[in-house]
Amino acid sequence: MTSPGSTVVGGIAVEATPAAAPIIGRSAGPAAITIDALGKRYGTGGLVLDNINLSIEAGQFVCLLGASGCGKSTLLNIIAGLEKPSEGTVTVASGKAAVMFQDAALFPWLTAGRNIELALKLAGLARPKRRAAARELLDLVNLADAADKRPHELSGGMRQRVALARSLAQDRKVLLMDEPFAALDAITRDLLHEELERVWRQTGRTIVFVTHNVREAARLGERILLMSSRPGRIVNEWTITDTGSRRIESPEVARLGDEITDQLREEIRRNAS
Amino acid sequence: MPVESRTDTAPGHDPDHDELRRLEAGLDSLQAVPETPRGAFRRTLDGLLPPVLLLIILVAAWQAYIVVAKPRPDLIPGPFDVFEALASAWSSDRLQIAVLTSIERGGLGFLIAVAIGTPIGLLLAECRPVRRALGPLLSGLQVLPSVAWVPAAIIWFGLTDATVYFVVLMGAVPSIANGLVSGVDQIPPQLRRVGTVLGASRFEMATLVVLPAALPGYFSGLKQGWAFAWRSLMAAEIIAMGGTMGFGLGSMLQQSRELADLSGVLATILVILFVGILVELVVFAPVERRLLRRRGLMAAGLR
Repeated sequence: MTSPGSTVVGGIAVEATPAAAPIIGRSAGPAAITIDALGKRYGTGGLVLDNINLSIEAGQFVCLLGASGCGKSTLLNIIAGLEKPSEGTVTVASGKAAVMFQDAALFPWLTAGRNIELALKLAGLARPKRRAAARELLDLVNLADAADKRPHELSGGMRQRVALARSLAQDRKVLLMDEPFAALDAITRDLLHEELERVWRQTGRTIVFVTHNVREAARLGERILLMSSRPGRIVNEWTITDTGSRRIESPEVARLGDEITDQLREEIRRNAS
Repeated sequence: MPVESRTDTAPGHDPDHDELRRLEAGLDSLQAVPETPRGAFRRTLDGLLPPVLLLIILVAAWQAYIVVAKPRPDLIPGPFDVFEALASAWSSDRLQIAVLTSIERGGLGFLIAVAIGTPIGLLLAECRPVRRALGPLLSGLQVLPSVAWVPAAIIWFGLTDATVYFVVLMGAVPSIANGLVSGVDQIPPQLRRVGTVLGASRFEMATLVVLPAALPGYFSGLKQGWAFAWRSLMAAEIIAMGGTMGFGLGSMLQQSRELADLSGVLATILVILFVGILVELVVFAPVERRLLRRRGLMAAGLR
């Protein structure tokens, strides 16, 4: 239940449209990521990913959901170019993608500002412009005052925001996120959901967000892909027609979450025998 | 359920965004780690007082033993005898010459060892086949006491400074190279992956990610390298004397032994010890403290 009070505090308009309906054959805009007959196995072991076909629209927020070990991180790494597919192809229309990991992985010998400046340097930005650009990016994640702090002086949530700013520094149209908020406490995670959604709306990035948290996927995604385990396949998807932002406590998110959870459990149960 | 519809979305006047900013700022300050910095004076005092106190107690106990037990002064000299030996070595300029010669050889030998050990370490860390071939040999050399090289060095180079430098290098290079290797090995793999996704080239990866990340391990290798260089130097100076070789602290030690001057021997040992402590305190400790504090790696007791 969402109390009226909390809605006012959050100040978010919630539209009371039905949150979700499975949609097949949605009219697609230009594809930012195209995955064709992708398969992955390690050495001579079993298939990790099996025949993944996927087209992700530019500017879409896609959540990739599945149980542990279903290969969702592997799929993300392949899109990122960190791993090679065994078969099939992956095309990222804009070239390379930016990646954000579960741990912030900031360089501990650099301040928050310098961490971002390093990313700008590697992205090819000229030295005199870097400092101002780094401040701007930090301000985007509301950390302008923390530019001179070192990673160990920041809280987990702040580190993740710096990591988000760093991945935006690359100025790539596609942002891949591998369970970026999994290690954070619930209050911080809730705020970061809001932050990420705002950044997404403001920058128009295509986001692929890997998570094992059903509510998180229902809270954030425009499109949610459910993966099965061993081998990893995409077994179902939901497209959320409500374009406004929604809160993680809202009944729409809960209803969608329940529906996805039922399917996810079904998939997990199949592995019992 | 109240539905708020907002139309004013002008930049800077988005109340939703302001609200989020305030929330985040509040959470940030709740989660911030409070720092309690101590003044430089207090830090120096905390670092200096305990060892100085211990030194005074040790010297006092030594003197008390001399006064109470009255041992033969040629077998167990008192603190004043040792101090006298130091003073006489100072007034004859032998002490200054010996200290300067040894520090110069040790320092120069150490720098050469850094110049040789660093590329070897990098090669070992980044190139698997080289590591398999050379790794065990280098670890073995690190264990081998470098004094063992003195006889061979004397035969090769005669009684020249080259003998001393050779022994110093054999002592220090393996430690420095191994320190760098373990520094590189301890880099969290995630940092390299970040370098990759940020689009770093091989060279950028090495200079902007791997080297700075390996710095703490490299630095402890340097520290150990200096210790080995200083020890090897003393050993070489004690064994190899004369020829064109200068007069170092090891030579002074050996000279005092030949004169059966135990006060002189003990005085020289104290000087060698003191130089070692001084280099640690003046050169290595400040750099290390800075390095570790900046990365938040400082143990709470050492802050």
